[in-house]
Amino acid sequence: MYEKHIMICGATGCLSSGSNQVAEALNEELEKHGIKDKYRLVMGGCPGFCEVGPIIVIFPDEVFYCRLKPKDMAELVETHFVGGEIVERLLYKGPDVDAPARFYDSIPFYSKQKFNVLRNSGVIDPESIDEYIMRGGYRALKRALEMEPQAICDEVKDAGLRGRGGAGFPTGVKWGFTNKAPGPKKYIVCNADEGDPGAFMDRSILEGDPHSLLEGMLVAGKACGADEGYIYCRAEYPLAIKRLRIAIEQAEEYGLLGENILGYDFNFKMNIKEGAGAFVCGEETALLASIEGKRGMPRPRPPFPAQVGVFGKPTTINNVETLANIPLIVKEGGAEEFAKVGTEGSKGTKVFALAGKVRNTGLCEVPMGITIEEVIYDVGGGIKAGRDFKAVQAGGPSGGCIPKDLLHLPIDYDSLTKAGAIMGSGGLVVMDDRTCMVDLAKYFLSFTQKESCGKCTPCREGTKRMLEILDRITEGEGKPEDLDTLDSLAHSIKDSALCGLGQTCPNPVLSTIRYFRDEYEEHINEGFCNAGICKPLFIYQIDAESCNGCTACARACPVDAIKGEKKEPHEVIQELCTRCGSCIDKCRQDCIMITRVGSEADVGN
Amino acid sequence: MERFVDHCCEKCTHSKDTPCKDFVECCVEGPICHDDQSCADKRKKIIEKVALDEKFVIC
Repeated sequence: MYEKHIMICGATGCLSSGSNQVAEALNEELEKHGIKDKYRLVMGGCPGFCEVGPIIVIFPDEVFYCRLKPKDMAELVETHFVGGEIVERLLYKGPDVDAPARFYDSIPFYSKQKFNVLRNSGVIDPESIDEYIMRGGYRALKRALEMEPQAICDEVKDAGLRGRGGAGFPTGVKWGFTNKAPGPKKYIVCNADEGDPGAFMDRSILEGDPHSLLEGMLVAGKACGADEGYIYCRAEYPLAIKRLRIAIEQAEEYGLLGENILGYDFNFKMNIKEGAGAFVCGEETALLASIEGKRGMPRPRPPFPAQVGVFGKPTTINNVETLANIPLIVKEGGAEEFAKVGTEGSKGTKVFALAGKVRNTGLCEVPMGITIEEVIYDVGGGIKAGRDFKAVQAGGPSGGCIPKDLLHLPIDYDSLTKAGAIMGSGGLVVMDDRTCMVDLAKYFLSFTQKESCGKCTPCREGTKRMLEILDRITEGEGKPEDLDTLDSLAHSIKDSALCGLGQTCPNPVLSTIRYFRDEYEEHINEGFCNAGICKPLFIYQIDAESCNGCTACARACPVDAIKGEKKEPHEVIQELCTRCGSCIDKCRQDCIMITRVGSEADVGN
Repeated sequence: MERFVDHCCEKCTHSKDTPCKDFVECCVEGPICHDDQSCADKRKKIIEKVALDEKFVIC
């Protein structure tokens, strides 16, 4: 028996910050002290708080160590494992806590979270089916095997689960369509082609708790009358794919996948299809084409996949998070428990990937109905470097931005749609006052434009024309009629594009025009980018009155465009300045101003 | 018995080819088809090896 369990985050985020090296160093130190056999080291799933990775959580002591380096391991072993004392300097510290926080319950990042989908992440060894079973795993499957398919659909419908991939369609209703579709051969497809910039919710579930997805798909199979499933996962997620393969192999060995599962008249075969990287393959009909070995391109609906899906057979397509909720709902009493959390129209929890200018980047799972403000300030810890919040982009390139005066908005499907954004798969990119909303719209539109499959004219040509206009505006060549043209083009694309991606790709432009029209007008009419992002539309100037000549800006400037003697006000040489922003980031006196080109009077920042 | 899929004794017949309907519950709460403390202890040993705390196991 082990004295302690050491859970090291082995998800992609912490791995990239060096958790493998931390684990190696820890192993060496434990070995050096001859105590290695007393402790169990697990490269587990993601505890969510990527900002402070690599993370180690020790049980049963309930201690959360973060920002670890291999060189910290000698002290950790000496003090904690040998000496029995906590290493305070490795605990979580931040402006949101008065003293170093010891465990999840005292770290504000976790205070408003509720773990449903992420319940096992960082708690179990993701490569152990036994541990998944100990956590109540595969009990929902057993129960489903004893239920009528329609009863399972009804239960999921009554729980109020809506698709977590974007559109929010009621899952139980969707399953019912496939269940009622005629024919002996049906499929369950899991959309794990997570492609939104900044989104990694699905990856974390796959890496941290792969069996929850398999169980969800098996229950869906029973409910829909399907005997085969495909997990369509992007090839850029090698760790997720590796863990899925291990999970499938284990489930087959345990008689939980294959023929006559658990002795019932139910067979299910699981396949993994690796996506080749096209964003459009996240669209369900393009995804189905890709599984069939064809080029990933959408097709018109109807017929919907529930009638004509992969290989022409009735197919249910759900995303990873949706399916990972299923074991919780279909277990005994699970539907009622699930429905207790959330709002009237949006039940349960939602996993978000917090990215951008927020202090606590990472993954969080919060109850539906929580406000955006709570997510950004209570969970996310507010804006980096004490700057002001400007907006949050919800739902990735298909979503929209939500401005400061809507911070009180509850996060649920209907409220977000009303505000011009969408829940999407759960990406939340937070922006501060140094973000140019025109540039942001251009970034997301250039993403969807590059990823347009080219099949339908509105998306292929329309996004190109819109991007040309945004390019002009950010270059200082905008025309007064540009906003009307953008609006008209955006609505034409929304109305006529073939697939969901095309229909939603103008959203970032429309929502930024809706909430930040004055910023567009400032670019067009005054040739000024107040945020200091669009380089032809501003210059940096140093306020001679507040500059104390500390030289920090001059030392940061990569092109020697700042001149001045020590303790004397400095000056920007405009002919040399590339407007890279290195100086403004370094200035401690806040005396570098963003001003209009050719004007010294107007101060933008 | 090092994993739940291993047989606790000759009375257990679960495998992918001869599946048992009670297998999932049996892993944590078993044995279900027979009464044997040593078989129950074998399961307990697997659980105790990895359970992080007393709240870890969910039935």
